[in-house]
Amino acid sequence: MKKRQTFRVGKLLCYLTLIIGGIVSILPMTYMLGTSLRPNGALYEYPPRFFPDLDTITIENYIYVLTKEKFYINFLNSIIVSVSTIILAAIISTSLAFCIARFRFPGRNLLFGLVIGTMIIPGTTLIITQFELASFLGVINKLTGLIPFYVAWVIPFSTFMIKGFIENIPREFDQAAYIDGGSVFTVFFNIAIPLASPAIASVSIFNFLTAWEEFQWALTVLNDNAKRTFPIAISGFLGQHQFTQWGYVFAMSVISLIPVILIFILFQKYFITGLTTGGLKG
Amino acid sequence: METKAMKNRIQIFLLLLPGILMFSVFTIYPIVKLFVMSFFSWDLSSMHRQEFIGFQNYAAVLSDEVFLISLVNTLLYTMITVPAQMALGLLVAVLIHSLPRYQISFRVIHYLPVITPWVIASLVFKYIFNTEGMLNYFLYELLHLTNRNIAWLDSRWSGMFVIETLGIWKGVGWNMVIFLAALQGVPEELYEVADLDGCGGIRKFFYVTLPSIKNTILFAMVMLTIGGFNVFTSIKLITDGKPLHQTQTVLTWMYYKAFRNGEFGYTAALSFIVVVALIFLATLQFRIMKNRNEED
Repeated sequence: MKKRQTFRVGKLLCYLTLIIGGIVSILPMTYMLGTSLRPNGALYEYPPRFFPDLDTITIENYIYVLTKEKFYINFLNSIIVSVSTIILAAIISTSLAFCIARFRFPGRNLLFGLVIGTMIIPGTTLIITQFELASFLGVINKLTGLIPFYVAWVIPFSTFMIKGFIENIPREFDQAAYIDGGSVFTVFFNIAIPLASPAIASVSIFNFLTAWEEFQWALTVLNDNAKRTFPIAISGFLGQHQFTQWGYVFAMSVISLIPVILIFILFQKYFITGLTTGGLKG
Repeated sequence: METKAMKNRIQIFLLLLPGILMFSVFTIYPIVKLFVMSFFSWDLSSMHRQEFIGFQNYAAVLSDEVFLISLVNTLLYTMITVPAQMALGLLVAVLIHSLPRYQISFRVIHYLPVITPWVIASLVFKYIFNTEGMLNYFLYELLHLTNRNIAWLDSRWSGMFVIETLGIWKGVGWNMVIFLAALQGVPEELYEVADLDGCGGIRKFFYVTLPSIKNTILFAMVMLTIGGFNVFTSIKLITDGKPLHQTQTVLTWMYYKAFRNGEFGYTAALSFIVVVALIFLATLQFRIMKNRNEED
């Protein structure tokens, strides 16, 4: 009898803790959404309110940032950069991972060592010499100044994850293809890519999020507002005005959060496989 | 047969080529160049007459007071946020794992902060911790826990507290997911044996669960330490190092020196000190965990 009661109390405490944790997790974003739906003049009202009254809800902030600030341009820039990044990174990392996993070639260990080693180095530390390189290549203030750097940035982690996945594909598949007269390309396109596609998909989702939210490199390379990606547009807007127009800032933030939430809901299972395949073996 | 082997070799080379090119040009070359330049005098005024000056840049970094402040801030940030995220993430994971229902809903909700872009999360936290913001309203006007509105962002420790709170808030979900995966891998028989021995829930956690997920703990610790040293966006947007560089971290200070002051040689040396410190910390963590493993 007593045991059962403690069991119930335990379950209750468990749910309670998780519900509190859940509230803390979503509260800031809910507050942001509430603020973005408030008329801009009412932002400094005191006491602050968590959510606006239903009859004062307005989308004027959204209309303002999309028409006056042309925020859709920044949004499109971010889409272009992120999509190009994941496509290039998927192609390059999968080929690297396939070769490292399946063949012995001169410099293989060095290459893999560099892949692992560069994962430790914070991207920001390379910012001056990368900036110099970008100026040399003439890509400052252009979207092409972001894409190759993002691709190079995500290659190590992507290669590492996909390599781990390809190593778990039985080699018998490859051998069968070779016996049938197939070449390296046949094996790569007909066996490695299809079978490793779950890993490629989850890596690509992470790469999308990385490129989507990247801040410091874009801050360094892009000056022109028409070229900015959304993180720079939002933070730049913050600095432009003496009093921060939080309604506009949060309207932009909510817009840029939509693709992230959509991807998360649509590809939820890949988030889990992505996090657990690469790092946790052995 | 010969031609076929040759063909395959060419194809392997073609597959490797784009990756090696990208990697060499955009990553390896900048690293090497940075390392070389850390031994040269190199700033905006002397762009074109760079002189070899040995370890002077390194000496300048190590004797720089703000660098030491930023290093302490970064180390404290890492030492506070890493264990806190791991403990809370593990707690949430264990609780969710024990649920018969609603596992997915709780997992999704707790993961939302992880996918929120840093820029957005930083701005929301800045708004909440504003002197006239929501948090002060709760603490002062509603709950009377404080006797005035606290200027969170105006001093070193309270400013870093805001940054650390954000770091923990944003990191718990990542830990939850990898710990959940690890918990699913713990063999059920181990718990059954513990049951027979009359172990309670807490003892089972310490004697069965923790030892079984040791590798995951190590993995998380190393990844999060690297992540802790990467703290940049939150500082840049919430405090921007203010007041008086008191809340700089190594990377924000590096960025300031490079793009406000144009001291590139100094920045290069600073970068290498950070990289060496990170490699040292990662190896140290592996060593400690390995020794623990051997003792068991």
